[in-house]
Amino acid sequence: MTGLRLVAVVDDDESVRESLPDLLKALGFRANAFASAEDFLSSATLAETNCLILDIAMPGMTGPELHQELQRRGLFVPTIFITALKDETVRPHLIEQGAVDCLFKPFSDTALQEALGSALPSE
Amino acid sequence: MDIELAHLLDSLPAMVWTAQPDGHVNFINRRWLDYLGHPAGRAAQWDWQALIHPSDLSAVVAQWRSVVATGNAANIETRVRRSDGRYRTVLMQCKPIRTEQDEISRWCVTSIEVDASRHRGQALAADPDPQPKPSGADDLRLTIDRIPTAVWSARPDASADFFNQHFLDYLGVPLEQALGWGWTHAIHPDDLPDLFDTWIALTKSGTAGEAEARIRRYDGQYRWFLLRASPLRDESGEVVKWYGFNTDIEDRRQMEATLRRSEAFLAEGQHLARMGNLSWRVASGELIWSEPLYRIYEFEPGTPVTLDRVAARIPPEDIPMMADMVEGARRGSMEIEYQHRIVLPDGRIKHLHFIAHRATDREEVEYIGAVLDITQRKVADEALEKVRSELAQVTRIMSLGALTASIAHEVNQPLSGIITNAGTCLRVLSADPPNIEIAKETARRTIRDGNRAAEIVTQLRALFSRKAAALQAVDLNEAAREVLALIAGDLQRGQIVLQAELTDRLAPVRGDRIQLQQVIMNLLRNATDAMQEIDDRPRLLSIRTEDGADDHVKFTVRDAGTGLGTENPEQIFQAFYTTKSDGMGIGLSVSRSIIESHGGRLWAEPNDGPGACLSFTIPQYSLADPAIPGASSAQPPASLELS
Repeated sequence: MTGLRLVAVVDDDESVRESLPDLLKALGFRANAFASAEDFLSSATLAETNCLILDIAMPGMTGPELHQELQRRGLFVPTIFITALKDETVRPHLIEQGAVDCLFKPFSDTALQEALGSALPSE
Repeated sequence: MDIELAHLLDSLPAMVWTAQPDGHVNFINRRWLDYLGHPAGRAAQWDWQALIHPSDLSAVVAQWRSVVATGNAANIETRVRRSDGRYRTVLMQCKPIRTEQDEISRWCVTSIEVDASRHRGQALAADPDPQPKPSGADDLRLTIDRIPTAVWSARPDASADFFNQHFLDYLGVPLEQALGWGWTHAIHPDDLPDLFDTWIALTKSGTAGEAEARIRRYDGQYRWFLLRASPLRDESGEVVKWYGFNTDIEDRRQMEATLRRSEAFLAEGQHLARMGNLSWRVASGELIWSEPLYRIYEFEPGTPVTLDRVAARIPPEDIPMMADMVEGARRGSMEIEYQHRIVLPDGRIKHLHFIAHRATDREEVEYIGAVLDITQRKVADEALEKVRSELAQVTRIMSLGALTASIAHEVNQPLSGIITNAGTCLRVLSADPPNIEIAKETARRTIRDGNRAAEIVTQLRALFSRKAAALQAVDLNEAAREVLALIAGDLQRGQIVLQAELTDRLAPVRGDRIQLQQVIMNLLRNATDAMQEIDDRPRLLSIRTEDGADDHVKFTVRDAGTGLGTENPEQIFQAFYTTKSDGMGIGLSVSRSIIESHGGRLWAEPNDGPGACLSFTIPQYSLADPAIPGASSAQPPASLELS
């Protein structure tokens, strides 16, 4: 299992933190879930995270703010944003900022799989 | 008569005789005797009557007796035989001389020859004796000098030859300076050319006339005078003399000026305030308008005004209002206040506000009133109202947008969990070997999240419902009138003709007033929106209330708009069905849920002609039956905006 790539999920919604890691594991990844941006930044697995699934609207530091903070630190982690607010205008903006994709909740497992495919191309 | 006095009288350059209090002549002075060619000598027994023209004698005797009897000063004019034997007209001024006890001690008569072709005034003016006689402080000349008016005379060539003392005193110049054309120096330079022209024209035409001019007083102040002149003609019709008098009209002028000024102020004020005023005698129909009011109505100033003429300016739909106003006036109400529109011949519309109160100090019903042109205010109000209405619409759409976003967010969270879990479940079950434990766990979470979503929907419904419908007796007429007042601006802007048939003594219904008003508002808005594009027929909006069958009250809105847009009227009550490009299509479905929660029914029918008709019925309010089926259980979204 150690060869599997690590995907971190940062979302304040518990049902996402519960359900997404199981799906990610079923898709062949390791998964870690964090309830806030701050938790993730202080986590020991930050450095070995291969991909980030990041909620946009969160209390405290928001998803885009975390994304910028990582870039500021020189950590270019492929990031897939997820949001329950379906606003088509944010998507091109986030992709322009370096995001891999932006998925609107609820999204299907295949949509997530495709996004992960772009974020982490097979070696 | 003492000698000294006789000498004095004799030396006077005037013809004087005196008489006893009883009228007997007792003295004739030298000049008289010379005039008559009478031998010198004291003439106590002088037969003066022999010198009077025989035709005049009886009249003169009678006059003299009358003068003596009354004791008053008087003038007697008669022809007297002069020393040359010719008769000349002589004016005799008879004055009583009184003692300190006010008894007549003597009569003093001064006589002046008046040329037959001359008027006595001229003769007096030309009297070479400028000094008053010692005894006659009030002789005619003195009288003329003292008359508190300016008296003058002029030659036929228009040059002045006499001014009385009063006028000279006014001018503050001696006679010589004023004579001829000297007086013109006292005329105000601005008035002189006109006055001069008038005066010359008069003397040329020989007709009496008048002019007004400012004349300088001795102290330099100019005052307005009315100058009047009339000619004296001889037998051949030639003008031989001009007589005139000038009346000081300064005070009148000032009053006129003050009046003109205050009238001008009033007119200017009315003009600025776009106001006119009027008096109206209702019984006779007599209307008196101020000039600014003519301008407001754009009638020819001064032309007679009648109610019919006014009514011709009023658009047909405002005529009933005017009729009400006139009816009120005929009943004699104390105050009138009414707003109306007028349409001018070129199609412009003015909004007017008429206020009047009844004058109480007369028997006839008369109103004194003012009309204000409030068009500009009205136009500004309408513009403001339009902006407000648009703003409200934008706010409505925005709040609706924010609302749906928030609903979407709340619902999407559990949906997201459901879909992810279901996806995971499928994947782990189809894996080899299937991971049953994870599948069971994700299925369990799917159910949990499904319940969570349902819970959110319930909470949302609770959030947007009233905790309890505020049930009360509602007068649908009153509720409708309030809504009409709210959207009056929209109706006017949309050029909607409103026909409201609100049945008198309508039974109250039991319900939530606000919710019912939302329904009425929604029906009216739909109707007006449906007529927005209609140009080939009147945009007629009829609303009607009536008592319906089975103790229900019926409310109907009928428009002449684009119709229902469907064969099946029921379709329009489905959520998100709309014929409007900018509508959400939830108004009618919400309206129906409100009406149904009141135990009523809302339905639509096409009109025979163009347009649609929407009606609802709801049960009457009844004390015996306080419960309304569904009213408290079904909770219609009261605060959702209807569009």
